[in-house]
Amino acid sequence: METLVSTQPVSDFAPWNNPGEVPLVHFDGVTKKFGDFTAIENLSLNIYEREFFALLGPSGCGKTTMMRMLAGFEHPTKGNILLGQGNLQEAPPHKRPVNMMFQSYALFPHMNVEQNIGFGLKQDKTPKAEIKRRVEEMLSLVQLEPFAKRKPHQLSGGQKQRVALARSLAKKPKLLLLDEPLGALDRKLREQTQFELMNIQEQLGLTFVIVTHDQEEAMTVASRIAVMDHGKIVQVATPAEIYEYPNSRYSADFLGDVNIIEGRTDISTGETASLYWSDEEAPLTVSTSLRLPAQTTAWLAVRPEKLRISKDKPPTSDNCIQGKVWDIGYTGNISTYHVKVSNGSILKAQVSNQERLADRPITWEDTVFVHWDKGAGVFLET
Amino acid sequence: MALADITTPSQETEQASVQGSGWRRSLLIAVPYIWLLVFFLAPFVIVLKISLSDVVLARPPYFPTFDISEGWQGFVAMFQAFDLENYVWLTEDTLYLKSYLSSLKIAFISTMIALVLGYPIAYALAKAPKEWRSTLLMLVILPFWTSFLIRVYAWIGILKKEGVLNYVLLWSGIIDEPLTILNTDAAIYIGIVYSYLPFMILPLYAVLEKLDYSLLEAATDLGCSPFKAFWVITLPLSVSGIWAGCFLVFIPAVGEFVIPDILGGSSTIMIGKTLWVEFFSNRDWPVASAVAILLLIMLIMPIILFQKQQEKQAEASQ
Amino acid sequence: MISSFKSKLTVTLVSAAMAALATSVAQADGTINVYNWSDYIDESVLKDFEAETGIKVNYDVFDSNEVLETKLLAGTTGYDIVVPTGSFLSRQIQAGVFQKLDKDALPNLKNMWSVVSQRTSIYDPGNAYSINYLWGTTGIGYNVEAAAKRLDGKPVDSWDIIFNPEILAKFQDCGIHMLDAPTELFPAALNHLGLDPDSHDKADLDKAAELLKTIRPYIQKFHSSEYINALANGDICLAIGWSGDVFQARDRAAEADNGVTINYIIPKEGALMWFDQMAIPTDAANTKGAHLFLDYVMRPDVIAKASNYVVYANGNKASQAYLDAEVLEDAAVYPDADTMENLYVTTPYPLKIQRVVTRAWTSVKSGQ
Repeated sequence: METLVSTQPVSDFAPWNNPGEVPLVHFDGVTKKFGDFTAIENLSLNIYEREFFALLGPSGCGKTTMMRMLAGFEHPTKGNILLGQGNLQEAPPHKRPVNMMFQSYALFPHMNVEQNIGFGLKQDKTPKAEIKRRVEEMLSLVQLEPFAKRKPHQLSGGQKQRVALARSLAKKPKLLLLDEPLGALDRKLREQTQFELMNIQEQLGLTFVIVTHDQEEAMTVASRIAVMDHGKIVQVATPAEIYEYPNSRYSADFLGDVNIIEGRTDISTGETASLYWSDEEAPLTVSTSLRLPAQTTAWLAVRPEKLRISKDKPPTSDNCIQGKVWDIGYTGNISTYHVKVSNGSILKAQVSNQERLADRPITWEDTVFVHWDKGAGVFLET
Repeated sequence: MALADITTPSQETEQASVQGSGWRRSLLIAVPYIWLLVFFLAPFVIVLKISLSDVVLARPPYFPTFDISEGWQGFVAMFQAFDLENYVWLTEDTLYLKSYLSSLKIAFISTMIALVLGYPIAYALAKAPKEWRSTLLMLVILPFWTSFLIRVYAWIGILKKEGVLNYVLLWSGIIDEPLTILNTDAAIYIGIVYSYLPFMILPLYAVLEKLDYSLLEAATDLGCSPFKAFWVITLPLSVSGIWAGCFLVFIPAVGEFVIPDILGGSSTIMIGKTLWVEFFSNRDWPVASAVAILLLIMLIMPIILFQKQQEKQAEASQ
Repeated sequence: MISSFKSKLTVTLVSAAMAALATSVAQADGTINVYNWSDYIDESVLKDFEAETGIKVNYDVFDSNEVLETKLLAGTTGYDIVVPTGSFLSRQIQAGVFQKLDKDALPNLKNMWSVVSQRTSIYDPGNAYSINYLWGTTGIGYNVEAAAKRLDGKPVDSWDIIFNPEILAKFQDCGIHMLDAPTELFPAALNHLGLDPDSHDKADLDKAAELLKTIRPYIQKFHSSEYINALANGDICLAIGWSGDVFQARDRAAEADNGVTINYIIPKEGALMWFDQMAIPTDAANTKGAHLFLDYVMRPDVIAKASNYVVYANGNKASQAYLDAEVLEDAAVYPDADTMENLYVTTPYPLKIQRVVTRAWTSVKSGQ
């Protein structure tokens, strides 16, 4: 299991930027209602071949519904889902070139590991020898050769998870759906498995769609992430783009830790804008191409690690706010300072602990200055 | 079927928690054994004893009887008087073998019909919307609120020549001549299946309700048609319910006496009737007891074999 | 051998359960426990007895001799008076179930009818253990219209209707029931063959079984109580049954006014005559009370009340003055002297022969 992580050639792989590229999956104005409840609302989305695409959102946001529509267990109330060039609606679940790895793994308890993995191939009337070969291949892929004859209840959680993965991969589906695949694993195993998943995906050259509510997981594995909220997609972009340039407070907040400062705008120039966040203090300056009318409510989102903190007022800084250390969160590699500023709100600033704890000069109740560059934050209108 | 297994963990926890009051614990454990002893083993021994005795015209109508006043001597004398004559007798007249076989056949066919009818019903119940389930289950159990006898008698009104069934069939033009169903084997099957169907449905429902439907989704996802998924997933996973249901129908059906007597024809011989005749008409308690003992053994053997098989399976899968 | 109740089984099952539980509870002097056939008494008889003597009567009913016998043989029934049929009584006496009656305590014995007591002494020599309660015959019950149509107006008066397959076949389409009681049917078959109806000879019984097998294909069902309703509803048109039961069917059909007319006949060749006898178990708790009750029942007006109510004849000569004319003058209830000559009685089979008979009966019914 000591797989070496090969960094994905993210820069090269960006079919979504190529207007000529035909998407593998195309959601076209899809709406799904359960009675009065709208689970998915007029949603359009492209997923490209060889992508590792993550649907990210809190429970109830509609991500699972989208996946179940792909698998064929649910049908859109309105709109179309295209796979390649074909309309997917027509095909029942058992005739789709799509396989799913279930959150509960859904391993057949009365079949052993081998039979579970070979199940899909058997349904396709694949010759016995071929099934045997494929099953062995899959077993070696997930490193479960010694467990071939075991029944699911004799396996550990991680082993079950790998059987479920092997089973869903055995038919080499065009599209593999993973529904919270790592949810039942403990943290260490989860991280390790995330990398294995990425390796396998790359090795087999398949398209994966993963549903998760775990933003770290999404950021680790995904080529692109769709952040979802109440049946709508808030933002679709690469993890780095969403992290650095969230398009909304929702996106910013969902991915990673963030300080959000509310204020009113001055006239923006198209290059920078000023945000009046407190009557007593100077406005904040943000680089932005947004042009908003004056006196509009807007927000500045800035990641804690982009904030610097010092006891002395920095000589020059785009933005600088004075405050008092309210709390310090120490997590070993990083310390997070919670600084209470004049209007009562708290700013979080992260500092990596290059020095030893004892040497740290800033402590509770210290008066400090929090400062950052104008380009460190993102200016948001929603 | 493996009820004994369930008690083990609770006994262990008891052992751990109730230290020092050993007699109370022993009493608690002893209660079910005392129950078995008084209500199962003792009657069995009495019947076994009668089956080894000889019939006489006396009160009670068999010999030897155990006279406690004669003490140990009487006990020995009683044992010396025992013989297997009655069991030998059962082999000499083919009536008994035929009765056993006929009962087994009727019970087996009834069980199969009940399974075929009960499975879809249990499946539909398990798949019904949650808010409906308790109501539907109630409908399955509802007939038990009426006397069993009255329900069986009601079938006379339905099945007889001028009965409801023939009336409906004639009226709808399906048949031209009224069917003779009452007093035939068909009526026995109808009666048994009707009476014991809930015993088939309930254990099946219990299993199917617990079935993880994501398994079926997984199967269809892997290319298995819903119809086939039933055969390769649902059915194998409900085997324990099928066995439980079949035993619950088969066992009372083998010894059934009332339903064939009321609905069946006179030509059907069943072991329950043969036993009745031995006991009441022939007043031959010893032979009747021998018939009962053999019936008991016949019913217990498959259960023991089944349980052995299950234990083996459980061991193999550990 | 009256099974005058629709659910013989209910009673069978309940009694079986009761037999296990019934224990000899020490009876207060003021109580007697009577165990009689169901629908077999005018309830006012019991009330009057209670009013007159101050003895409370616990009255319980059964529906088959076999069930009664099983209870008696199991012992400690708790009953003070039971009412088995003669042939059953006979072997129960041999089994030591009953106590001898104290005739000094039964002054009303003088009312009894010698015609009946002669016959009952076959079962109970000298009538030492029992008194007759009611008696009846086993004959033919039939649907009058259906029979008239099938017999071209010829009267139903002979066992030929039953034992001649050609005639019996004519009734197959409208339904034929027969008592599920070999001790009733074998004597009838033997009588028809010109043999002794009470024969205990295996060769004779085999011949009777052969005759019964020839008519078996036409019989819809052998059952000892269903025929009452079946006759009354018009579901069947012919049955071998007990006199009072057929009368019950006749009355039910008349009540229902369903166009069914039922009649009962004693065939001219003769029929089985049976007697239900009152006796006191050896372990009866209130022997004195039991004797008082027996003596009370032997009062002419009292037993006449019972006969009038259930339409069965009794063994009490003096009571005939108190009988309704329609009971006394009905030849099917009180046969005339000629018919009486032809009525026969049977004695119980020894165990070995009993087994032969029941086995042959199973064979007749099932073809096995």
